[in-house]
Amino acid sequence: MAKVLIVAEHRDGKLKKVSFELLGLAAQAGQEVHALLLGEGVAGLASELGHYGAGKVHVVESAALKFYSAEAYSKAVVQIAKNLGAEVILAGHTPTGREFMPLVAARLGVGLASDCTQISLAGGKIQARRPVYSGKATAEVEFLGGGAQLATVRANAIGIPKPDTSKKAEVVTASADLGALKTKVLEMVKGAMGRPDVTEASIVVSGGRAMKSAENFKIIEEMADSLGAAVGASRAAVDAGYRPHRDQVGQTGKTVSPALYIACGISGAIQHLAGMRTSKTIVAINTDPQAPIFQVADYGVVGDLFTLVPLLTQEFKKLKEH
Amino acid sequence: MPWQPILFILMAGGFFGYSGYRFALLYRLARSQKGKAPLRWDRIPERIGATIVNVLGQKAVMQKPLVGIMHAMIFWGFIVITTGTLEQFATTLFPSFELESIMGLGAYSSLVMVQDLFTAFVLLGVLFSFYRRIVLKPKHLGQSSDAFLVLTFTGGLMVSIFLMNAFHILGYQPIYTESMLMSKNVAAVLSSMNLSQETYVGLATLFKWIHMTLVMGFAAYIPTSKHLHIVAAGPNTFLKSLDRAKGMIPINFEDESVTQYGAAKITDLSWKDALDYFSCTECGRCQEVCPAWNTEKPLSPKKLILDLNHQLFDYKAAITAGKTDELPNLIDKNITNDVIWACTTCRACEIACPVFIGHTDKIYEARRNLVMMESSFPAEVQTVFKNMETNYTPWAFAASERANWSQGLDIKTMADQPAYDVLLWVGCAGSYDERNKKVMKAFVNILNKSGVKFAILGNEEQCTGDSARRIGNEYLFQTLAKANIETLNRYNVKNIVTACPHCFNTLKNEYKDFGGNYEVFHHSQFISKLIADGKVKPTQTLNAKVTYHDSCYLGRWNDVYTQPRSAIAAIPGVQMVEMKSHHDQSMCCGAGGGRMWMEEHLGRRVNVTRTEQALDTGASIIASACPFCMTMMSDGVKMKEKADKVQVLDIAELVSQSI
Repeated sequence: MAKVLIVAEHRDGKLKKVSFELLGLAAQAGQEVHALLLGEGVAGLASELGHYGAGKVHVVESAALKFYSAEAYSKAVVQIAKNLGAEVILAGHTPTGREFMPLVAARLGVGLASDCTQISLAGGKIQARRPVYSGKATAEVEFLGGGAQLATVRANAIGIPKPDTSKKAEVVTASADLGALKTKVLEMVKGAMGRPDVTEASIVVSGGRAMKSAENFKIIEEMADSLGAAVGASRAAVDAGYRPHRDQVGQTGKTVSPALYIACGISGAIQHLAGMRTSKTIVAINTDPQAPIFQVADYGVVGDLFTLVPLLTQEFKKLKEH
Repeated sequence: MPWQPILFILMAGGFFGYSGYRFALLYRLARSQKGKAPLRWDRIPERIGATIVNVLGQKAVMQKPLVGIMHAMIFWGFIVITTGTLEQFATTLFPSFELESIMGLGAYSSLVMVQDLFTAFVLLGVLFSFYRRIVLKPKHLGQSSDAFLVLTFTGGLMVSIFLMNAFHILGYQPIYTESMLMSKNVAAVLSSMNLSQETYVGLATLFKWIHMTLVMGFAAYIPTSKHLHIVAAGPNTFLKSLDRAKGMIPINFEDESVTQYGAAKITDLSWKDALDYFSCTECGRCQEVCPAWNTEKPLSPKKLILDLNHQLFDYKAAITAGKTDELPNLIDKNITNDVIWACTTCRACEIACPVFIGHTDKIYEARRNLVMMESSFPAEVQTVFKNMETNYTPWAFAASERANWSQGLDIKTMADQPAYDVLLWVGCAGSYDERNKKVMKAFVNILNKSGVKFAILGNEEQCTGDSARRIGNEYLFQTLAKANIETLNRYNVKNIVTACPHCFNTLKNEYKDFGGNYEVFHHSQFISKLIADGKVKPTQTLNAKVTYHDSCYLGRWNDVYTQPRSAIAAIPGVQMVEMKSHHDQSMCCGAGGGRMWMEEHLGRRVNVTRTEQALDTGASIIASACPFCMTMMSDGVKMKEKADKVQVLDIAELVSQSI
């Protein structure tokens, strides 16, 4: 049994789903599953980690860890991993995971398999698949030589195991000497958003210039909310001031690859296609049958979005009720 | 020894000595510049010709006729009057010197007449200049106390000449009095003073000394004034890029002794750049035509040159002492990142510049440092670089899908080893962008109808790297360039045609520095030739008003203006109208210099401003000859909500519809 250390990610007192996925993976592979909780006042989250398969939860409480910082995280992870003799260290391929894990790898002098979309821990060894060349090919990687094996795994790649509330993890309070930190996070300022970020959401509903005004985006927002989706926008809509730049999908905005992308009133200029065409399923609503968006769409509707979008929203809501 | 030669020697020694000392400082500052200057010591006869035409002939200044004439009067007057000044110096130093007896009275009288007339011309020029600066106040001129001082100096010089001459006439009644058409009238007015002969002689001497003092004072003032252009502009004209085509200066990455790419400090620019600053006379013509400045961006090409010059002088002690470590970063409170990134490299500034300053050269070097040394550039460019590195196109599309547009069109790739006349360079826009794929298909239709045999590289083609180079990523550009050149040379390609002016410019003018020598045509040249040769005949009438938008990389960078227009004009029924700025004066669409890939956060949109100019013509079709212009103008038309009335079409589409 290899010692697998999973760095649990949490925000606002809630654990991220990807951490549960990783615990499930390690537990199912029959490994010795350790979870690591870093933060201030986070010990309460430990029991939930146990439900998903953690045998032992190491909790490091420190004021310096109140806010996430790559420097403090990487130092703490390295110390705990060394004390434990962890053979495998895993984290989600999230904005934080992709920042601190390379630092951990560097501090340990080992390699890192990042952005894994498939991973196996059979025999206590990482065997993973990761996309390369903008997803045009998949590389299968494994670790040669000694030392700890590190990987970051994409969210939703494994699937969340069923929690078993009867399972209890042993909780130990650990301490880590973070030394003098070069950076100090003073505060976290949040963008005012209730919806998921376009890059993280599994469904994105986007509007284009045809929305005609910022107020009209309300119907897009309603549809997004009925699906738990993020709201995106084309460059034209952002330029026109209908949406903030952080919603922009495209070459000069965010690149997204959700399971479902609904483009409303977006003609599909290359600027936009470059940011969303790898979405798994693309639905386009546009009045112009010649619009290039239909070239990439799996389902296309030629029609007026102001009629269609509210109708679809109603249907989605009905589905939810059942 | 009489007092006059002694006083002259003392004064000349002092003034000219001080002037010389200050010029020596300029020379040392220029020599301390470490950057690579373009090699421009070739084709000497052509250079002399260009210098004569533009300096003596004032051609570049005459781009603005009224101001040009004003300047020419002052300039030619300066040349003519200098002969008189030199004579004056000679007679003061050697009282026995007599030019009159050397030249003969007839010739001397003529010279005096010309000098006298030009004194009046200069005075007129100076008066107009005052009027222009005080009353007309063109925006691009700005406020400059230096300018007023220079005009006062020049005006004072002319007034002192007239007074000196008039009193000379009254005191000496020289034999050539009648030749001095202006001065003799001044003398007639002054004669009413009824002074004694001796007093007139004395006054003539007084104004001679006033004039000489002004000349010497001017000489001492010039080195730190904008009037320095009278010394620097001549050499700068001699060293100008003789051809319109001007490739960027390559960096040799094999040279391991080079530790700095681009310009982090003022001294990382070249001596030619310093000569550029010295040549600048702050006329503001560059600023007047700058699409960034005209849409409220912080970039003014004029201000950039002045700010660079200020840096040179602010740190002259450290620079001349070779202590470059003490120099601050080139990017400062004046030359900000936004200034450097606002440039579309449209080159309107350089074409407008009467003294041939290369503004874009400085921008490129600053960007190279930001990108390759500091990794500091607009965030959205990161995606572009990554895509170019992994997919060989700025857009996030796979290299393996590059040739997909040609499916079903029966187009041969070079790998098929077909018989072909010309290689069609498709470019990234033609390969991946739905809108520009249509342009490519239209061009293919024209080629097929004309019987020209062509082939494409297919998936072996890669981005030419133009955007990477203009953004400052020379390394990425060279990687792409070398890969393309290897492919092209492997197939022994000689002739290339492309619908993209950026590919055109790079293939034609920049690949030769890396071993790629090809005959390259833009599709507008190709189409207009096919029409002229009768290979394709536009017959379908198009009853529409069409305005052609000049692409910067076709027009200003490569001097191609007529062929795109003649291709459109060959279509029956077309009525062509020009926008308010066109040809050399055309306004950029906003996408050049890598701006295609950046967000435009500041000021108004360049593309919308240009689109407004196009819409003002009342044309129902805006013709473009560039995929970037196509994107920008189409977006502009949509933003102006005119998409239902106005179409943006490539010239290939227009011609293809008609044949």
